[in-house]
Amino acid sequence: MVKKYTSMAYAKADDMLFGNAKFPVKTGLGLEIGAGYTTPEINYAPRPQAGKSKDKLIKEYERITTDVMSRMVQIGAPSIILETEHVEQMSNNPSWGAEVAHAQKTIMEEYHDEYGIKCALRHTIGDIREDRDFLQLRGDKYSVFLEAFEECAKSGADMLAVESMGGKEVFDYSILRNDTAGILFGIGVLGSIDMEMIWTDIAKIAKKTGTVATGDTDCAQANTAMFIAGGLLDKNLAHTTAIVARAISAPRTLCGFEAGATGPGKDCGYENTIIKAISGVPIAQEGKSSTCAHSDLMGNVTMQCCDVWSNESVEYHGEFGGTTVQCWSETLAYDCAMMNTALKLGKGKDLRDILALSDKYRDPQGYVVSYENAYRVGQAIAKDGNNNYLRAKNAALESCNIVEEGINSGKLRLTRFEINALAKVKADLVALTDDADKFMSESLTKYKQEVAVFRPENYGL
Amino acid sequence: MLDLKLEDIDGILVRYNVALEKEMTPDEAAEELYPKDELIYPIAKSIYEGEEDDVVDGLKAAIAAGKKPIDLINDALMVGMGVVSKLYDDGIIFLPNVMMSADAMLNGIEFCKSQTTEVPEPKGTVVCHVAEGDVHDIGKNIVAALLRAAGYDVTDLGRDVPVDEVIAAVVKGKPIMLTGTALMTTTMYAFKEINDKLLEKGLKLPFACGGGAVNQDFVAQYDLGVYGEEASDAVKIADAILASGNDIEKLRAEFHKH
Repeated sequence: MVKKYTSMAYAKADDMLFGNAKFPVKTGLGLEIGAGYTTPEINYAPRPQAGKSKDKLIKEYERITTDVMSRMVQIGAPSIILETEHVEQMSNNPSWGAEVAHAQKTIMEEYHDEYGIKCALRHTIGDIREDRDFLQLRGDKYSVFLEAFEECAKSGADMLAVESMGGKEVFDYSILRNDTAGILFGIGVLGSIDMEMIWTDIAKIAKKTGTVATGDTDCAQANTAMFIAGGLLDKNLAHTTAIVARAISAPRTLCGFEAGATGPGKDCGYENTIIKAISGVPIAQEGKSSTCAHSDLMGNVTMQCCDVWSNESVEYHGEFGGTTVQCWSETLAYDCAMMNTALKLGKGKDLRDILALSDKYRDPQGYVVSYENAYRVGQAIAKDGNNNYLRAKNAALESCNIVEEGINSGKLRLTRFEINALAKVKADLVALTDDADKFMSESLTKYKQEVAVFRPENYGL
Repeated sequence: MLDLKLEDIDGILVRYNVALEKEMTPDEAAEELYPKDELIYPIAKSIYEGEEDDVVDGLKAAIAAGKKPIDLINDALMVGMGVVSKLYDDGIIFLPNVMMSADAMLNGIEFCKSQTTEVPEPKGTVVCHVAEGDVHDIGKNIVAALLRAAGYDVTDLGRDVPVDEVIAAVVKGKPIMLTGTALMTTTMYAFKEINDKLLEKGLKLPFACGGGAVNQDFVAQYDLGVYGEEASDAVKIADAILASGNDIEKLRAEFHKH
């Protein structure tokens, strides 16, 4: 049994700040995360043709690593994290991922030895537990999945992560049909069950290999909702619905830390400020410097409490200013220099508030993840921390309440459509039972019938 | 925390969507578009509302009144879906409404088919797939639903589809268009392999690609590629093929926006 969070790590929201975590994490070559400074984390994708063979992939990652390390030294950046998000070939063939990790770490060690730059290598294993027709969360695929973690850890990766997909089959069906109960079931219940299983095992591998189990993100679900919602003029999904999915993702992501992960959580977990408030772990975040990957209406607010600042991902190719990884790591490094300067000057909280306020009223998603509101969602989760279903429902309802307050203040101005969608989601949530067993039973019946690819045995049900 | 005054916020962001929101509610806008025929109206309205049972009830009533089941597909179900599509294109309703309406319409089509031995005539066949190595299929599912809702016969190959299986489906199905979606840069390279194999076989059909990391520059690198930025572009590209032929350059001129 994992130990669940039932209280807050921070006494109040104002105690949270970028570059500072209650429980800092030492990792890699001289790096400490959340220990009073922020660190850039560059993430990249190989060019399409690089996936054709193992040798091509290794060469591509060697180029990427050398480019980043050289640029960081050229501009005097004190620290850097490289995040290699596996392409499927690397996770399905664990030796490929391991060889890439080894090649990258060898280069990073050379730079550390020569220049003393603090650095660490994060490998994010792909969630390969799917075949063509179904999620296959347990069984043979799971064995390869865990092997990929262990091989990378043994070969040079300092930090282990994943963006897992438990619950996605029900979520994908539900989010396109405004089905609030399905969103809650997919992320908050099924996702949490899967998270507890995989992170218990990943944490064991990290302990055995002396590496850091960093955490997960609900990219597959909450970010899908965020991407579908899009910008202010997009008409694909209400942003008020998207923030409820996000709120539900926090108790799900928290399961990883309850099972043994220590942070820094993954960059694209926009739920991470909530996670930090409850757990005190350091967090990675992305925002304005991840526009190379996507647009999300939360360019600055996500920086408010980050310990690691990331660009999400950029395809490796040339730009006027160098290769993309050089350009974006440089941008990230200057962002971190600004935050670290504010900390040194004792102006950190002022900068934090400016960052939050510049996006807080832009969108209901930014409004809820603004740190003082994120803290409130955290409290709603911790209140029923031992019950995966109830805490997910609490988080969803609290996010609805927060958005309503924002609307009533006049500062968060939404369209009639968004307001109606919020009312619908809230009414759906209020109508749901407080009995987790009853909800589970009803949901199993309903989604087994409606979602052809949903297999309860994936979750031990 | 520090806070902004209400009057200061407008200088930081502009809520263009609030300013542009239509006066009319979606229900009111739909009401203006429904056909007036008293047998067709309830079917069209039930499709807009995504009420599958009501669609079937409406179809039963229309059949009892003498309408032919096969005719109701085009004269009622497609008309109702046309209302939904127009409201979506106009930015009045959102994607989940379209998906629920599409479910209701497809349910209605199945009912009509069960009431007759006649075979409905689709607008054309489109083959949809997710690139080999890629299991992320929500984008493909949206594309397939929107195409079906627009009257196309969709061959959905699913996700993580081997290149040769795509080729075989194109050879067998003779589609007017192939679609491919991908999330990762290294999986979308399969699109180029598909393109090359199609050309080897002399199959020159538009290959509409989009999703995650896919961009217009990459898609334009191979001869058959037409980039779709939004899922709804798939329907627009298919409609353009029916209207004006499958000239790739013409399609690119229309759909390549960057």
